[in-house]
Formats: sequence, structure tokens, C-alpha cells
Amino acid sequence: MDITTERPSPDVAVIGLTGELDGSNFEQVIDAGRAARDGGARRVVIDLSGLTYMGSSGLVALHSIALLMRGQEPTSPEDGWQSIHDLGTAAAADGEPGVVLAGPPPSIERVLDRSGMLGLFPVHADRASAVAAVATA
Amino acid sequence: MAELHAAEALPTITITAGVDQLAGVRAFVRAQVAAAGGDDTTTTDLVQAVDELVCNVVGHGYAGRPGSIEIAFLETPDEIGFRIRDDAPPFDPRSVPEPPLDLPLGERRLGGMGVHLARTLTDGFDHRILPTGGNEVTVRKRRRPSTGPSTGEATDGHHDRASEP
Repeated sequence: MDITTERPSPDVAVIGLTGELDGSNFEQVIDAGRAARDGGARRVVIDLSGLTYMGSSGLVALHSIALLMRGQEPTSPEDGWQSIHDLGTAAAADGEPGVVLAGPPPSIERVLDRSGMLGLFPVHADRASAVAAVATA
Repeated sequence: MAELHAAEALPTITITAGVDQLAGVRAFVRAQVAAAGGDDTTTTDLVQAVDELVCNVVGHGYAGRPGSIEIAFLETPDEIGFRIRDDAPPFDPRSVPEPPLDLPLGERRLGGMGVHLARTLTDGFDHRILPTGGNEVTVRKRRRPSTGPSTGEATDGHHDRASEP
């Protein structure tokens, strides 16, 4: 899997993922999110359009980056759902989601849907619309 | 480990337990399902299910200890699937609570999501403890109506599924 990070504006990072996201590399995605946060990003677009596979470890990566953008450290997957729930309510409360998703292929969107994650992250059709959305958030 | 290496006519790969082996496992699953005439959905679902289950064996079954995992392709006229054997401590993944998606998220646990996907993406999901003490997990999907048996040369890979204790 290839990971790229772009910074279209000082407080926005776009993390692009290409290839297969699985148990061997999901921590690299978290590291990319951590680096974006440490570099001053307050919102992250995760571009999933290049992914050909995402295991449940990818869900952990998305969740972890969302926590990082809130200034928290990722939790253990074993107690992650409560954190996701908290995350969803917090994002709804302040209207400024820290993580938005862009361009998930149908197979990836299916995983997000079946895991109940679709409702927790704004999903945009492509990178450009996601960046535009966070720029005006 | 003798049972893991029993001579059988099933397409099989054996890997060392490690997440760096997952891509090879997925490639094996894709190739076998394609050769059996499985459609895209069948392929996608079995790739996901096997990946999640093997990943769990690596991370939870062996938990960092060295070990091996055998993945075998099963095919009958009605179903295609995979059998995953390991030598890790006995554990039935079906015992992992299913996250009830119609309940508040706060009641779910992210840790069981891989098993949830494996369960919901397949038509059959079984486990038995091997005589040697390891685990055998099988997942299978029914052939979709538009997809008949690929060659009529289905193996007897279904034989050991009905005899689960």
C-alpha cells in the first residue's frame, strides 16, 4: 500500500491510500494521521479511492486518526466502539468533523457500511469535493 | 502439526503466522475462487472473510508466537469456501459477540469486527478443535444462481464439514 500526504491548506491534510490496507500496514496509516496532526492539520481527508482492499484493521486506522484529530490517543480496539460513539456525538455537536472520507470504491464502502462506520464519517464522492467540504467547515 | 500436513487433494497453502503473509493469502483466495468460476461478489466476500480470520489467528491465536496456518480451498457443486487450520490454543471465533448494528454504537466493540464481517459475508461459518488441539475454521458461500460449477470436477472438500463434533 502506498500512502501520500498533501496539505492543500495549513489546517487540512489529505492522506491518499493506494493498494491494500490490512493488518500489516494499518499502523502506517495511523502514523500518517499522527504526522498530519503534529504538522498542524486540524482536519484530515482520507482518500480511499485507490484502495483495492480494506480489512477491519483499516477501520481501526480510520477510528484512530479521528481520535488523534481530537487530541486523543487511539484506544484499544477492544474498547473502541464507545470511543467511536463519543466521537460521533462530538462531531455532530460542533459540526466540524476531524476526518472525512473520499471516494471509497463500492467494495470498501460495503465494509464501512457493514461495520456501521458509514454514519460516523462524512463520505464524499471524491477528493476534490471532500477538500472543498472541509475548507468551508 | 501432523494433521495440518495431511495429504489431501485440496489446493492448499501453508504460511508462517505473520501479517506480512496476508497479501499472499488474499491472492490465493482470489485465484482459487476465480478458477472455480466465482463472481466478483463471491470473490470479494471470501477474500475479506479469510483475511479477517487469518489475521485474527496471527494476532490473537498465536499472539506473536511463531506458528503456521494452513489455508485450503473447498469446492462442491453448491458451495465454495476455505478451511483455515492452525496450531494455536483452541478458540471458537463464533463465540465472539456479534456487534448488534441496530443498537447504539456504545454497546459494540470494534475488536470483533473482523469476525462480524466473516460471519455476515458468508453463508457458512464453522469451527472445530482438531485432534491435535489446534483449530479448524471453515467459511463457505453458496454458488450464485448465475454461476454453475466451473468444471464439474469439484473436490470432496465438503467431506469434513458435516462431521463437526
